[in-house]
Amino acid sequence: MRAVLRRVAAGIVVLWATATAAYLALLAAPGDMVDSIIGDGADSPQIRAQVIAEWNLDRPAIVQYLDYLWRAAHGDLGRSYLLQRPVADVIGVQIRPTLKLALAAAIFAALLAVVLAVTVRRPWARRVSSTAELVMVSTPPFLIGIVLLSVFSFRFGLFPVSGDRSVAALVLPAITLGLPIAGLLAQVLRDGLDRALDEPFAVTARARGLKDRAVLARHALRHALLPAVALAGWSFGVLIGGSVIIEQVFGRPGLGQVTLQAVTTGDMPVVIAVVVFAAAVFVVVNTVADLANLAIDPRLRRS
Amino acid sequence: MRRIRLAAAVTVLALLGACSSNAASSGDDAGQPVSGGSLTWAVETEPITFNPHQYSQAKARPLVWNTFEALLTHDAQGGYLPWLAASYEVSPDGKTYTFKLRTDVTFSDGTKFDAAAVKANVDQILAPGYAPAVAAVQLRNLDGVEVVDDATVAFRLKQPDVLILDFVSSPQGAQVSPKSLKEAKNLKAGGPELAGTGPFVLDRYTQGQEVHFVKNPAYDWAPSNAGHSGPAYLDEVTYRFLKESSVRVGALTSGQVQAIEGVPATDETLITANPDLSLQRGLNSGSAYAYYFNVSHAPFDDPKVRQAFREAVDVDAVLTGVYRGTATRAWSVVGPTSTFYDKTLEGTFGGDAAKANQLLDQAGWTTRDADGYRTKDGKRLTVRLVQSAPYVRDRRDVLAQAVQAAVKQSAGIDLNVALVDQGTQAKAIADNQYEVFDNSRADTDAGAALNLLLHSAGAINRTGVKDPALDELLEQGQGATDTAKRTAAYQQVQKLVVTDQALALPLYAPADQLATSSAVGGLGFEPTAGVPAGAYNVWLRR
Repeated sequence: MRAVLRRVAAGIVVLWATATAAYLALLAAPGDMVDSIIGDGADSPQIRAQVIAEWNLDRPAIVQYLDYLWRAAHGDLGRSYLLQRPVADVIGVQIRPTLKLALAAAIFAALLAVVLAVTVRRPWARRVSSTAELVMVSTPPFLIGIVLLSVFSFRFGLFPVSGDRSVAALVLPAITLGLPIAGLLAQVLRDGLDRALDEPFAVTARARGLKDRAVLARHALRHALLPAVALAGWSFGVLIGGSVIIEQVFGRPGLGQVTLQAVTTGDMPVVIAVVVFAAAVFVVVNTVADLANLAIDPRLRRS
Repeated sequence: MRRIRLAAAVTVLALLGACSSNAASSGDDAGQPVSGGSLTWAVETEPITFNPHQYSQAKARPLVWNTFEALLTHDAQGGYLPWLAASYEVSPDGKTYTFKLRTDVTFSDGTKFDAAAVKANVDQILAPGYAPAVAAVQLRNLDGVEVVDDATVAFRLKQPDVLILDFVSSPQGAQVSPKSLKEAKNLKAGGPELAGTGPFVLDRYTQGQEVHFVKNPAYDWAPSNAGHSGPAYLDEVTYRFLKESSVRVGALTSGQVQAIEGVPATDETLITANPDLSLQRGLNSGSAYAYYFNVSHAPFDDPKVRQAFREAVDVDAVLTGVYRGTATRAWSVVGPTSTFYDKTLEGTFGGDAAKANQLLDQAGWTTRDADGYRTKDGKRLTVRLVQSAPYVRDRRDVLAQAVQAAVKQSAGIDLNVALVDQGTQAKAIADNQYEVFDNSRADTDAGAALNLLLHSAGAINRTGVKDPALDELLEQGQGATDTAKRTAAYQQVQKLVVTDQALALPLYAPADQLATSSAVGGLGFEPTAGVPAGAYNVWLRR
């Protein structure tokens, strides 16, 4: 119980720290909030005065910061400068399609990586697979997306091009986003398997008459999973970063587009909310990864 | 009272291209108009807001006109036609505009459209913190709006301002149901909770994906140049947001959408080579895309250096390189489709490298540094262009690189291009840390753009020009109700700005492209504005 409370408290500190860091970064960025709100349009002292009055921007930064924290603690994330809607509405609507995409991509990546690592064992096949994995990791997602669209959507009409309307519309974006992760995971898993198969326990298992496949699936894979799980945090970063590009190419709703627009236009309330949300997910992902490691490796539980 | 007959108010017939007449709409293959069906568009730009008063993106214009309507509309000759107002009068002193309203119009939420509704809309725009830019610019000279009777409303001005007609024909002057103005939770963002009088009702908006409209069956008050009367042909229309041009084109060629907006030069051949697709181009109204020179400090405080920069660029070659012959070159700060455009400026400047070098020698930039750039007193001839990334369109960042290469090669000028976020650009402008400012404005009345850019009190005067003679001419152009007088004033403005003072290097006239499948009929460009029209006159062949 105490361990759980410690984790929750640590999580809250992380969230407060990220919110504050985001706030400071935006304060330090060139141009002020008034510029962001005015945007590309007409700009005169009269207009500026109106904007400052409307958003209470004439208070000291520290007061605005404390006010922001106080309201955020009550669940009021403020209003978007640019979109003129409550931030909770803006982000709330976009979380689902983004999570859907990230989950689908992660599942696809994990399955593909395990299949590649476990089934491709022969030296020549490994060379081919390794090359393919390297290409998957190093090709920009933008290009993968355009190529997949050209072939499967524009040429053969198998999947629709855009939106978050059906499962079919999720296939190409999830593959595009999952391929680089699958490529790296497969390499890590295969190395782990190789090391595990050289360990004394694998030799012992074989001596007991277990088939190679069984040794692989029942014993070695466990060992190989540890470094792969450690990649969860990294994968999360790729998923979030990649979603901006994927959403743009596939015309999907999602946090990526919202974030990009908010950052480039200096829409502070949205930026901070997204950063805090991302930090929260990151904390959850890493906690789950820790627990998964405990489940996989009994040796860790004793320490 | 001097009664102005709307149709006769036009005295100057501009030589307008096909881009601003309704004749240039798709539909040669789509046959006769039929009712019914559902059309899907792919568009490049997602509107920041669906509230017409907050309108600031030319690309959002067709979406505004689906749901909302204004008192007057533009005809193809730079004049005005009745829309929600049946007629209007101007008082002899030019300070009162009285509109007689239609009495058969209803908002889609059942509210009746009347004089009180018009007043409610203007009062809302003037409310503090609601639309400060509109209040400070378009309504600068408005004293107030008076309800004369149910069907008559008077706009009283502090001083004559013919641009008030442009305002009551613009999206910002569009009529929102007074009930929505009072009750909408997110009034400034707009969307399904804002009712208008238009031929469609916005019923669904999925941010980042699409916006969906359904036909308003009760609609029966289209303006005379709308193509037909009664309700719209289409039952529903969806605009899907696809930022990537190659994806839009692919979605069209594979039949997933029936129309797309925004076809870059690099993709045009994909459309033109396909017999089932058609491509149309429309030149936008307003000011041309131009580089304005900051005259408030060196080096562009010297007119010789401004002229030299202009002569150092072979604009045709640069445009061909970037836009592959699809761009229309601009010769003035006013766009070529405007009634006020001064054609005599064409071919009068630019592209003479020898002259550029001669001018720079005369201006004292005679020495060169190791990199081949001109210097004076040990300082390099560097000029900075700061572009705000969120607002860059038409590959203007690439165009800037092409200009950069041209001025370096032909005259040793160092054009420093920075592509930055909005805040950084705002700071550079506030600190006067720039020498070149790039801009185009899609105002239907070019005078509105010139006021903002060139008047000494203009809200986007980034040239720093403060010239009483120029201000006087701009005020004449805004105060005269007679189009011939306005044209004369604005032609003098162009001569002064482009020829005499070399304040700007006009580059190209912004345009929109529409590509449609052969099943789509009636899709075209709005008269005067030159941007894609709304969906009212569009039909789908069965």
